[in-house]
Amino acid sequence: MTIVRTEKLSKVYNADTVPVHALNNVCIEIDEGEFTALRGPSGSGKTTLLNMIGGLDKPTEGKVFINGEEISKMKDSQRIDFRLRNIGFVFQHYNLIPVFTAAENVAFIMMLQGRDKREIQERTNKLLDQVGLGDRKDARPAQLSGGQQQRVAVARALASEPRFILADEPTANLDTKAAMNLLDIMEKMNREQSITFVFSTHDQRVIDRARRVITMVDGAIDQDEIQDPDNTQAG
Amino acid sequence: MRTLLTLSWRNIWRHPARSGVLLAAIIAGLWAGVVTVGLVNGLMQQRIDYLIEGEITHAQIHHPEFLAEGYSWLYIPDHAAIVDWLENDQRVVSFTSRTITDGMLQSPVKTAGVRVRGIDLPSETRTTNFHENLVAGAYLGSDVRNAVVIGERLASEHNMELGNRIVLTFEDVDNELTSAAFNIVGLFRSASVDYDERNVFVRADELNALLSEAPVHHEIGIMLTDETLAGEVADALNTAFPDIRAQTWRQLSPELSMIVELGGVMVVLITLIIMLALAFGILNTMLMALFERMREIGMLLSIGMSRRRVFGMIMLEASMLTMAGAAAGMALATLSINYFSARGLNLEMFAEGAAQLGWDHVIYPALSALEYITILAVVVIITMLASLYPAFKGIRINPLDAARDA
Ligand SMILES: Nc1ncnc2c1ncn2[C@@H]1O[C@H](COP(=O)(O)OP(=O)(O)OP(=O)(O)O)[C@@H](O)[C@H]1O
Ligand SMILES: [Mg+2]
Repeated sequence: MTIVRTEKLSKVYNADTVPVHALNNVCIEIDEGEFTALRGPSGSGKTTLLNMIGGLDKPTEGKVFINGEEISKMKDSQRIDFRLRNIGFVFQHYNLIPVFTAAENVAFIMMLQGRDKREIQERTNKLLDQVGLGDRKDARPAQLSGGQQQRVAVARALASEPRFILADEPTANLDTKAAMNLLDIMEKMNREQSITFVFSTHDQRVIDRARRVITMVDGAIDQDEIQDPDNTQAG
Repeated sequence: MRTLLTLSWRNIWRHPARSGVLLAAIIAGLWAGVVTVGLVNGLMQQRIDYLIEGEITHAQIHHPEFLAEGYSWLYIPDHAAIVDWLENDQRVVSFTSRTITDGMLQSPVKTAGVRVRGIDLPSETRTTNFHENLVAGAYLGSDVRNAVVIGERLASEHNMELGNRIVLTFEDVDNELTSAAFNIVGLFRSASVDYDERNVFVRADELNALLSEAPVHHEIGIMLTDETLAGEVADALNTAFPDIRAQTWRQLSPELSMIVELGGVMVVLITLIIMLALAFGILNTMLMALFERMREIGMLLSIGMSRRRVFGMIMLEASMLTMAGAAAGMALATLSINYFSARGLNLEMFAEGAAQLGWDHVIYPALSALEYITILAVVVIITMLASLYPAFKGIRINPLDAARDA
C-alpha cells in the first residue's frame, strides 16, 4: 500500500532574489514497510524533499499525498495536527526537550495526542525497553550520549504510532558503533512491526543497510534501486 | 495540561539566575509601588489631619464675605440660632466660635500685618489641638490681662520675648480704629512658618470688648464624627441659614484640595514609571528566553505541538513567574507597610525643607485594601501584557528551524 506519493514536486527558495531550485519535478512513491535511504551530494535536495513529505514546508509546485490526503494544500494548523497523528520525526539534533527525562520526552507526544494516561505509561516503558534504554528512563538528554539521545528520538517517533518515520541524517553526529546500533534498532522495528522508515544519509555503511536507495542530484531523482542489504553487508 | 505545567515550570528553572532576576524585578516593582503609594498617602493624610485638627476643622461657618474681606463687621448673623442647631445635630462632635479681625502688630522694632484670632479657650481646645503647638510660656489660660500668643518666628523677627508688650490696631464693627496693648504670654510653632508669621491668638472676650458692644463671632469651626460628612452638614447649614456660608475643609483650604489631587497624580506617575521599567524587564527576559529556544520550539511544532499549546506554554511560564513574584512582593510590601505604619518612617534627612512648608518628617504610610488590589492587578496585567509579545513571536517560529543545522 502506498503511503507517500508526490506529484511533480518543485521547490524554489528565494524566488524573488536569487532563485535556488532545490527540487525539480520530483515524483516518488513510498510503500508501507519500506526501509528507504535518500542519498546524494550536499545540496542535492534531500532535506528539502523530506521536509515536503513530512509536511514541514509547502512545495512551490506539485502535490504531496499521505495516505491519499493532500497535505501540501492543508492549512498550517491542520498540517501540525496531521504531523502529530501521522508522521514520526527523527532529526539530526535538537530532538529532545532538555528539561524532560527520556520517559517524559516519549510520553509528551502521546500526551499531545490526548492518549489515556495508563496507556502512555505502558507504551513509554515498552518503547524505551525496545530501544535499549530501559535503565535510563529518568535521565535527561544532557545525561545521555548522542546515540542514546537518538534512540530516545526513535522511541518518541514510534510512540505516536505514525504511518511512517522520517529521519534526516539521524546518524550524522554519531560514531560508527552508535550509528550501527541505531540502525539495528530501526531495522528490527521495520522487520518485526513493519514500521516504514525514510532516512537521508551520507554514510555508506548506513546506505548499505537500506533496502531501497534513492539517489538525488541537483534536486531530482537520479537513481532509485532496490538492494539486498544482507548481500551488500556481506560484500 | 499537567504536563504543560511541568514543562513550563522546568523551563523557568533552566536559567535560575535569569528567572531570579525577573522574579526580583516583579517583587521589587510591586514592593516599590505599594510602598510609594503608601508613603504618598500617609504624607497626604497626615498633612490633611494636621490642618484639619490644628485649625481648619471639618467645616466652617462665616459671613459670606468675611473670608475675602476680613473686616470685623462681617460677623456671623444669627449666631445663637446656629449654635443651637449645632448642639442638636448628631453628626457634630464639637465646635468652637472665633472672633477674628485683620489688623496691625506694632513692636518697638517694626509693624506687621497680622490676623488677630480671638478664641474661646474651652471649646477651642475641645475642637482643635492647636494648643499643642505652644513652645514657650503659657497658653491663653493665664490670668494676665490682654494676653496674646504669637509665633516664635514672629517674636524673633520683632526681637521680642515672653512678657513683652505689643500693640494691636484694628477697626471695630463700627469702622472705628481701635488700639490696645497685649502682653505676650506664649510662643507657638506650627508646621507652617508662613502661618506663624501672620497669626496671633488672643482671648475672644477681650477682643470682643474692643470690637463691639455685644459679642460678635466671625468663624465657627466644626468637627464631625467623620470627615466624609462635611459636605452634607455644610449643605444642611446653608439651607437652614441662608445668610451665612458653611464650607467644607476642601473648599476652605485650596492647599488641601491640591494636596489630594497632586497626591493622586503622583501616585499614578510613580506607579507608571515603575510599571514601565517592569514591563521592559519582563519583555527583555522573555524574549531572551525565547530566542534561545527557537530550535526547540521549532522541534515541538515539527512533531505536532499546536501553536496554541506553544503559546500556552510561554504564557504559563510568565504566569507562574508573575504569580510567584506577586505573592512574594505582596507579602513583603504588606510587611513593610505594617512595620512603618506602626513606627513611622523617619525622613529627617530631607526634613529641613519639609518643615518650612509645614510637612511632617515622620511618615506613617497608609494603604487601603482597594489600593493593594489595584497595584497587584496592575503588576499582574503588565506582566501578562509584556509576555504576550514573546508568546506571539513564539508561535510564529518556523518548524524548519529545528531541522536546520547549527
Ligand atoms: N531555507 C533555504 N533558503 C534558501 N535556500 C535553501 C534553503 N534550504 C535549502 N536551500 C538550498 O536548497 C538546496 C537543497 O538543500 P537541501 O538542504 O535540501 O540539501 P541536502 O541534500 O539536504 O544537503 P545536505 O546533504 O548538505 O544536508 C541547496 O542549494 C540549499 O542551499
Ligand atoms: Mg540535508
